[in-house]
Amino acid sequence: MAHDPRGAESASATGGAEHRPDVNWQAAERSSEFQELVHKRRSFVIPALAFVFFWYFGFIALASYAPDFMGESVIEGVTIGYVLALSQFVMTWFLAWLYLRRAERVFDPLAEAAAAKALEPRGPGEAGRPEAGRPRAGNGEVRS
Amino acid sequence: MSAAFLPLAEVNVEAVVIFAIVVGITLAITYWASQRTTSTTQFWAAGRGITGVQNGFAIAGDYMSAASFLGIAGLIFLFGFDGFLYSVGFLVAFLIVLFLLAERMRNAGKFTIADVLSFRLNERPARVAAALGTLVVAAFYLIAQMVGAGVLIQALVGFDFNLAVALTGAFMLIYVVFGGMLATTWVQIVKAGLLMTATIILSIFVLGKIGWNPIDIFNDAKAQSDSPEAYLLPGLRFDNPIDTISLGLGLLLGTAGLPHILMRFFTVPDAKAARKSVGWAVGLIGSFYVMTTFLGFGARALLGEAGTTGEVDEAGNLAAPLLAQNVGGGAGSIGGDAFLAIIAAVAFATILAVVAGLVISASGAVAHDVWSNVIRKGKESEHEEILVGRIAALGIGVIAIVIAIIGGEDLNVSYMVGLAFAVAASANFPALLLALTWRRFNTTGAVTGVLFGVVSSVGLVLVGPDVSDNPVIELTQPAIISVPLGFFGCWLGTMLGRTDTKAEHKFEELYVRSETGLGAEVGEAAPPPREPRRRREPTGASR
Repeated sequence: MAHDPRGAESASATGGAEHRPDVNWQAAERSSEFQELVHKRRSFVIPALAFVFFWYFGFIALASYAPDFMGESVIEGVTIGYVLALSQFVMTWFLAWLYLRRAERVFDPLAEAAAAKALEPRGPGEAGRPEAGRPRAGNGEVRS
Repeated sequence: MSAAFLPLAEVNVEAVVIFAIVVGITLAITYWASQRTTSTTQFWAAGRGITGVQNGFAIAGDYMSAASFLGIAGLIFLFGFDGFLYSVGFLVAFLIVLFLLAERMRNAGKFTIADVLSFRLNERPARVAAALGTLVVAAFYLIAQMVGAGVLIQALVGFDFNLAVALTGAFMLIYVVFGGMLATTWVQIVKAGLLMTATIILSIFVLGKIGWNPIDIFNDAKAQSDSPEAYLLPGLRFDNPIDTISLGLGLLLGTAGLPHILMRFFTVPDAKAARKSVGWAVGLIGSFYVMTTFLGFGARALLGEAGTTGEVDEAGNLAAPLLAQNVGGGAGSIGGDAFLAIIAAVAFATILAVVAGLVISASGAVAHDVWSNVIRKGKESEHEEILVGRIAALGIGVIAIVIAIIGGEDLNVSYMVGLAFAVAASANFPALLLALTWRRFNTTGAVTGVLFGVVSSVGLVLVGPDVSDNPVIELTQPAIISVPLGFFGCWLGTMLGRTDTKAEHKFEELYVRSETGLGAEVGEAAPPPREPRRRREPTGASR
């Protein structure tokens, strides 16, 4: 097959990524599995990014415009600025961990279901039940 | 023996011995990798057989340059709190990579950034634009690293600047030309291990010397500073708030446009491994940057006024090595000299791993994008692409060596790295993100976006106070203007241009593929060959 990178003719080893004309991509995009995947991923990523921008640029803005506040001591020697800087590290670790966990539990099963749906030959098929839906709410354990 | 104080007047024998060991290990890796580099997938993507954990270490090794290790320690040493801003920005940036690009790049791409753009856009213009973005970023970054390498090796080992640059360039080229991505990856993994180990040990020594109370580091550092009132406050380095915010923006979005970092995601088997590798990288890089507290503030606390008496150079790059000498027992002692030599060797390995990553990404843009798919339009053989890739790496490496030597040690390294981040954030990141997520985006949009990003970021630096004697604009960091301009260029081009229905593919395939991995490129049948493959049968008729 043209899309098999192994044993394909030389053009595909040096060309760009192979297209798959055998898949109906329009239908795949419209499938409920795919729409759910996109929706679930967005509803994590957009609020998370909004928080990152708020916390990160808030930190930088305070450092730029309120140096005296940033220099106040929390404990003798440790300033508010340094504590806020450390909070950026904690935020990065925590959000990365949260995303990885969510990707594994929610996004991966949905992506698999959407891919399987796209490869289905025809017809409505037997609803690819996403075992993703199980709502395992994060219980705020922090890794650091 | 080495001289008592840096900069050394003569060659530091211990450092040379440890250098030789590090270089020996990397050359052995390269020999091993060269035996396995026979296809384009192996040359550009290590056969996609790198695991998530390995790739996490390799990303850390690719990312943490001498600018991180020595540069940030020096900036904190000199400017206190403001130096730590870099540490924060360099790390938080990985959330953008994780949330928006890591998995999508792996699913959608093949070897280079341009593969992602050209998947849906008109191939030739999209590739040329993406290759331009990659080459500009790699050029600034590479030259900065080479100059940095020359300055450091000269100071730490005693080699002449030109010799130091040439040596760095030679090793970098050996890794890439013979070992391709596989050698580059393992050099980066080894470097990440060395850097983390050395930094942990150094931090523990600093902590021990200070009396095991981390808070004392700040108080001692403050007391030793020549401006004790301001040292722990923001503002020693950045006095223009807009500059600080602009720098923050460039660091945050720039990482998501660095070609050598994004290329790493093509080396793993699938999107899950790509995502996992960012998790590991965030853990490693974050731990490292937290420890820059001990290196930077620790150097100030323990070395004190040494900095202002000229022992530490003006850029502060020697703060960390001098700190190692100090905690090892001081100048002239066996422990001090040995520790200094080890840190020098780690710094050298650090630079080698980064420049190798930069060269392979730049040669990918030249050989895979421009040569194979624009000039030859995919008609050449796999063998030819690897050959052109090796020649391109050689050419790029030699040009970088020559520019670094001509530019010399006075070339301002920090603004060149800042510029690389600004170009990456303004040119590469908008075009990539919009190609992956915006249905209407078209070829004209990609080309104008990359051009707007490159021209505005480079142009603003050229007319800014760092370069120009009569600055048109009082802004040293261009990102706050050039990033919006990059996005604006993408939008404007898309509106003015027309979707080229013949040459452009429908958005849906890229969209579904990037989100689900359906149709994503797979690795070689057997990641590293199970049995050594005979390339040439001596008795065979023709091959």
